[in-house]
Parts: sequence; structure tokens; C-alpha cells
Amino acid sequence: MQAVQAARAAGAEYADARVVADDSESITVRNQAMEGLDRSSSQGVGLRVLVGGYWGFAATARPEEVERTAGLAVQIAKAASRLPMEPVRLAEVEPATGTWHSPMQQDPFNVPLEEKVALLMEATRRMQAVEGLTFAEGGIDLYRRRTWLATSEGTAVEQTTVHSGAGIEAVALGDGELQRRSFPNSFRGHIAAAGWEHVQKLGLIEEAERTATEAVELLSAPECPSEVTTLVLDSGQLELQIHESIGHPVELDRVLGMEEAYAGSSFVRPEDRGRLRYASDLVSITADATLPGGLGSFGWDDEGVPAQRVPIIVDGIFQDFISSRETASRLGVPSSGAMRADGWQHLPLIRMTNISIEPREGSLADIIGDTEDGIFMATNTSWSIDDHRVNFQFGCEIAWRIKDGRLTQMYRNPNYTGITTEFWQSCDAVGGREDWTLWGTPNCGKGQPGQVARVGHGSAPARFRNVRVGVRG
Amino acid sequence: MPGPIGPDEIRAVSQAALEIPGVDAVEVLFMHVWGGLTRFASSSIHQSTWSEDTELRVRVVVGGRVGVAAGNDFSPQGARRAAESAREMASVVAPDPLFPGLAPADPIEDATRFDEATASATPETRAAGVAELVALCPGGYTAAGAYGTLASEVAVVNSEGQFCWAPTTQASLTTVVTGADGGSGFAETFAARMGDLDPAGIGRRAADKAVASRSPRDVDPGRYPVVLEPSAVSTLVGFLAWIGFGGRTLVEGRSCLSGKEGRPVAAPAVTIFDDANAPGTLGLPFDFEGVRRSRVELIREGVFVDGVYDLRTAKQAGKVSSGHALPSPNPEGPFPLNLFMGPGDASLEEMVAATERGLLVSRFHYSNVVHPMESTITGMTRDGTFLIEGGEITHPVKNLRFTQSILEALTDTSMIGRETELASEFFYSASRVPAMKIESFNFSGRSDH
Repeated sequence: MQAVQAARAAGAEYADARVVADDSESITVRNQAMEGLDRSSSQGVGLRVLVGGYWGFAATARPEEVERTAGLAVQIAKAASRLPMEPVRLAEVEPATGTWHSPMQQDPFNVPLEEKVALLMEATRRMQAVEGLTFAEGGIDLYRRRTWLATSEGTAVEQTTVHSGAGIEAVALGDGELQRRSFPNSFRGHIAAAGWEHVQKLGLIEEAERTATEAVELLSAPECPSEVTTLVLDSGQLELQIHESIGHPVELDRVLGMEEAYAGSSFVRPEDRGRLRYASDLVSITADATLPGGLGSFGWDDEGVPAQRVPIIVDGIFQDFISSRETASRLGVPSSGAMRADGWQHLPLIRMTNISIEPREGSLADIIGDTEDGIFMATNTSWSIDDHRVNFQFGCEIAWRIKDGRLTQMYRNPNYTGITTEFWQSCDAVGGREDWTLWGTPNCGKGQPGQVARVGHGSAPARFRNVRVGVRG
Repeated sequence: MPGPIGPDEIRAVSQAALEIPGVDAVEVLFMHVWGGLTRFASSSIHQSTWSEDTELRVRVVVGGRVGVAAGNDFSPQGARRAAESAREMASVVAPDPLFPGLAPADPIEDATRFDEATASATPETRAAGVAELVALCPGGYTAAGAYGTLASEVAVVNSEGQFCWAPTTQASLTTVVTGADGGSGFAETFAARMGDLDPAGIGRRAADKAVASRSPRDVDPGRYPVVLEPSAVSTLVGFLAWIGFGGRTLVEGRSCLSGKEGRPVAAPAVTIFDDANAPGTLGLPFDFEGVRRSRVELIREGVFVDGVYDLRTAKQAGKVSSGHALPSPNPEGPFPLNLFMGPGDASLEEMVAATERGLLVSRFHYSNVVHPMESTITGMTRDGTFLIEGGEITHPVKNLRFTQSILEALTDTSMIGRETELASEFFYSASRVPAMKIESFNFSGRSDH
């Protein structure tokens, strides 16, 4: 509140201040040797001000510099008025007070290092026992963020989030091929807003041998054929499909051109609300910051807007964006509460909360059993999408031919490509609650200077028709 | 505005970490970063920021066991706390059989890459530059982009007696100019001194490209000869660095260049090297474990020479570190941050004139790896793609997806530009590269704009 008062005294019409204290711990083991073991901590304060309808932001790690930093934020806002702009207006929000803590049974930072290392050592030992495996890697990532937000409108909230995750990765090399299998997901596994209990339930040791065996088997598997076919995706891959081709396109700052110079804009327009046929009627997508365990869950966003559940797509029709107070006011609607910053050093941006596909019916086995001919792909390796979020291409770790409802031939190096709305409109099966998983994406990049956010995606296996697979160079 | 903290205070604070008992070796990596960034969109300044931070990253070695802890409390207490945390971690792990020791004493203090005017640039100065750029947008077009002025101060101190320190500055201005008729143009510039930037030149270049690329038409995907402008070439070079040039991937046989030392991997006209000390790049004179950076010939006249190494991978490979360590711990291994591709003798116009039917690509977007061992990547064109017919640019085309082996593209290179530019890649640092003509490049799909 001292920082807010300093900003007001310096001339800000509106000010908010976030004091953030971040702690993290990362452990990486490869072939039963330590690859990396580090802890990091960082704390400071970020000040955001509005002066004459223009934003300014300044941040410092030095408490004694708060008044000077507030003055600098005001100076930055005044300098922005060099170019004309419709003054920023903020959608109304009721000032909030209170505290919030993400759910956690066992604080992962209190678990002895020996226990964490032993888990990874045993998982990698079991992977290494598989003949033909080259590298067996395991990692644990732990994050704790404490945030104190105060605004000149009277909001004063305190939040603590703890995110815990782990995963294993098996790599087999041979004859100019590198094949990789990950569990429970690629890119450091499965991370959730939870404590050590989440890591313990992942089953890294139990799944180590199967994971390594599949990596070795991929070396001798044929290439995924190039064809247009029926495609079934596991929930881990559908998670990233949702992220890139639904989550990012519905960020209202991107839609309004505010990200144009970096990752680009969006094909979705404000007038598409309630009208655009985004997907088949089996597809309903929700942004839900209240989901327990989601990396995008919180009590309030970094503007003090309470966590909400927002329908994005209902039965295939686009409904709404994720937004901030500034962007929502441009459409004359309340903020969806999606503003988050990467630590104290950065200003908040619209970030995905937990953007999830609503479960329908049946298991992955049911979907495969109901498919006469097609390809099943699992676990992301690669992603690429154009600057309007229209043309995409994804690579996966592994695929199998589906023939008469059964998985048959394994394929290596599978990938698929498509056009966002055509692809989602071709969806004719979405799995049910039994195979629905709330995944975490810990590495979502956005903004300049670059920020990284941890976001959540509830995802189920799904089936798509007439998809081009097996793109070659 | 803050300035460099300086060697004396950094030494004094780091000493608290170096003196902790019960350890064999200690390394302190100090980083101090400050600066502002003025971000604009729709020809208005919508996000303008400034921040300052320090980090002390302490690596402790006990009996070959290694732990790392970092914090942003720049004080003797903060340094000691980080060292104690690292020591605790080191005590519970197995020794690293590949631990090479810390960098030996080879002091470096170099303040020649620091520009006070850039370090203390005001938001008013950046806003004036943006205004100058925006003023060059033609009617119906707007500019988005970012004007950043960044200062940093990096030091490495270790118990072997090594001390390296260098303050540096960097100014950057990037923009995308767009119009409702589908026109889109990109331009960027980087320099150690903001006084060397030319906002008007950048604005003019992006605006000209945006106007030229309006009303793009469809073109069928397929294989085409391509003329790649430097921004597009930087994508090929940046990804090759990731999947090819790192000593760790080479040692482990995971590189697309593993086992190809001394063999042709590109056309004879292609030379790629890394040199942090050369004019025309923005580099530190030492790496993040305190080893002096060397110039490394990566591909010389089409032949793969070698990759880059840090102390650990150099020990694995029986080589000497080339000074390319990233901050520890770093499971990815060493990485070349200051890449160059040597120039040729052609102009862009000559490359276009030598193309009977092909495509001119201004820039690639959001590329990613498809097959690392084959150096195949995919991505999209962006901000100006044009059809070349009969040696002339005939019209802009809608954006295309490419899926292409980098090494095959470098092998199919027939002409290289005589001018080089420092050009960024979406996921990487900038490389200084020329334009190139490649005789066969695979476009595997298309978009709607």
C-alpha cells in the first residue's frame, strides 16, 4: 500500500502494486547421475499506474527504491502520451480483500532432498534396465509464489500458489534416429497446483519400464505414413492443441492487436461472439480459474478480479474471450479475470487460466474401439502455428494405426497439420470424465519483454476426421 | 537511473559466498540487468515498462558433488545464504563423474561494450523514436513493435581466483506495420548504442514492405526456389545452433551433425561461425562459467568443423572449452549465442533476377523441430511473401507453411548476399546473416492471409 500511495502522490490516477516472492526448486537426473539441482528465489515489487489514460510500469527488487520507482512509473506513463490513444478505461470491479492458498496436502519444499532424488534415481534405473535405451532422464520442478496485491481502488489481497510436477523421459538413439517417450507428459511431465502428494501419485517408477520400452521400439518402427485420415489424439496432445488453437486465439489483447508485433494476432474478432462456428457441436471449451489443481487457478487475478468460470465455446459456437479490465471495457463487458504477470518484474498480461474441453462420453479405448481406420497419436514433441492462429502443425512422440477398433502397427515421427476451425469442426468424438486430465503447461510464452506463465488445460482424448498426417520435409 | 555496481562491490559481496566452510570450490555468477521497453500497437504506446534486478547464482562443489542456488538479494547475507543452500544440495547427491572443475584464473574486465546514454535512456527518448517510426506509416496502416534499451552487468567470481566482469548495453527496435488490405511488413535493428539506431529507417522499411505485400494471392504449396531475406535465414541458423552445434548434443550423438566432422554438410559458399568479440554482434567476452569466449568455425566453406563447448562437454570430448557455457545448472549444454554466416557476393536484386519462378520470403514465424537428426523444421512465412516470375517480383502471396531440412537447404544454396544483418529469431538470440537463394525449399501448407 506504501507503493500505491507513492504512485498516487507522484500523480497517478490509478495505481496497483504487487509484491511477489518466488521460490523454485528443480532437480534433474540422467542415467542415475545428477544433471542439475538448483533452487532460486526472487522478490520485488511491480508498480502499474494510469496517468491521463496511459499505462506506466516500473519494478524494483530494492525496497528502499519504491518511491523512486513509483515516480518512474508515472514518468513512463506520461511519456506514452507522446502518441495519441483512446484513454484506457477499466471495467468496474468490486474492491477485494482476503487471502487465498492453492490446495496442498504436503509442502514439497519440506520434503527431504534425499527423497526427491531417490525417486528420480529409481525411475531412471528402471528405464536404464531396458536394453537399447540411451538416456533415462527424470525431473522434478517445484514453484511457490506469494503475492500481495494492493490497488488505489481499495483491493488488498494475499495469495500463495504452490505448483509441483515431475516426469520421466526415455531416449533411444540409433541409425540416425532419436526416439523419445515421456511420462506422464512431455516437457517435464505433469505439473499441478498441488503439493508433494501430486508427485507421489504420478507413478513414475511404475511406468518407467514401459516408457523406456516404447522409446526403444520406436527406433525400429516405420515412419508414420503420409495420408489424410481419421486422427485420434490422447489427452496430453489435445491439451496443446487447445492451448495453441483455442487458448491463444481467444485472448482479447491479441484480438485487439496488442500482441501483433510478437506472436501475432488472432483470426477471431469481437463480432464473432455468439456467431462463429468454431468447432463441432461436441466441443465445449471453458476457461475456469476456480478449478482445484489447475496451474491457472487463483483467488483473484493480478488486477484483483475474482477467479471465474467463463464459457469460451459452447456446443461448437464461440461465446467469449478471456480478458482484462482494460480490454473488457472496450467491449463494454466485465473482465473475465485473466490478468497475470510473470513475477514482480513484469506487468500483467491476459494469460490463459485453465482452458479446458468439457468431457463428453466414453474412454480412450471406447473411441479407438469405435474407429474403423485411422491413426492414434500421443504425447507432444513439437508445435507451430501461424501469426493469426489459423494454420498449425504438431508433432507427437508415438502413433499407432487403428484398424477395426484396435491399435495395430506402431509408427515413429508422427505429425499432423490443419486449419484451426476446419480441424475443430471435424471433431466427432470427445472422451468422458474417466480419461479427462487437468494438465499443466508450464512454459507459455507471451509479451515483450518475454514472460512465461504456467497455465492449465483439462483435456480428454478426441477424434477428428479427414486430417492430414505424416508431413515430410 | 542506476548504473553498474562495479567490480569492487561485486567482489566484496561474492566473498561471503566464496568463504563458506566445508566446500571444495565455489563459483558466483552475478547478473545485474536494468532498462526500459516501450511497446506500441495500433500506432499508440500501450505497454511501457522499466525494471531492475540482480541475481547471485552460486555453484558449490563438495567432493565432486554440485549444487546451485540463486537469489536476488545482492548483499553478503544473500550471497552466503545462496552458498549455504547450494552446499546443502550438494551434500545429498552423488558425485558428478564428469565435473571438470571451475574455470582457472584468467581475469577479464571489459567495459568497452557499455554505453552510458543507452543505459540511462529515458522513456521520453524511446517514445520520441517510436513517434518518428509511426509517422512513416501510410494512411490505413498502423505500427506495432517495441523499443528497448537494456543494460546488464555480468561477473563470474570463483575460488580458483577467476574474476570476469563486463557491463554491456543493447538497444533494439522492432516493428510490424499492417494494413486492413492484408499488407504486413517487418523491420528490426539492434545496436550496443541507441544512438546507432535509425527509427525512421526501420519505419520506412516496414511500411514499404507492408504496402508491397497488400492483397496477397493464393499460391499452391510445393517445392520452390526461394530467396530468403536475413530474418528468414536467421531461423535456419538459429535452429541449426539448437539441434546441431552444441557440444553436448555432439558428444552424445544427438546432433544432426554428429559424426559429420570434416564432411560437407552445406554448399561451399556457406560459412558459419560464432564470435562474441567480432564487430557487428552483441556479446559478452566470457561465458557464464568465466571462460574467455573464442571464435569457433562451425561450418567452413560447406564443411562441418566442430561445435561449441563448455568445460564439462570439453572434458567429455577431450577438447578445450570454447567459452560457450550457459548459466548452471544447464542440462542442455553449451550454446553459440553470437552466430555469423559469412557474406557472399550477390545483392538481393540479383538473387531475385536469377529466379525464374520462386518465392521471396521476408521472415519465418513460430518455427519448431520436426526431426532433429535430419535437421527438419517447420514454420510459417510472415510479414511479406512474394512470388517471383521471370526474375521479377510479381505479386505478394498468402503465408505458407514450410517443412524443410536445414542442412538440405544449406546444401541447395546457390547465392549468398553480400550484406549481412543482425536478425532475430522468434525463439533465439540474433544472428548476423546475409540473404540467401536456395534452389529447392519445401512448402507443405498454406494459411488464409
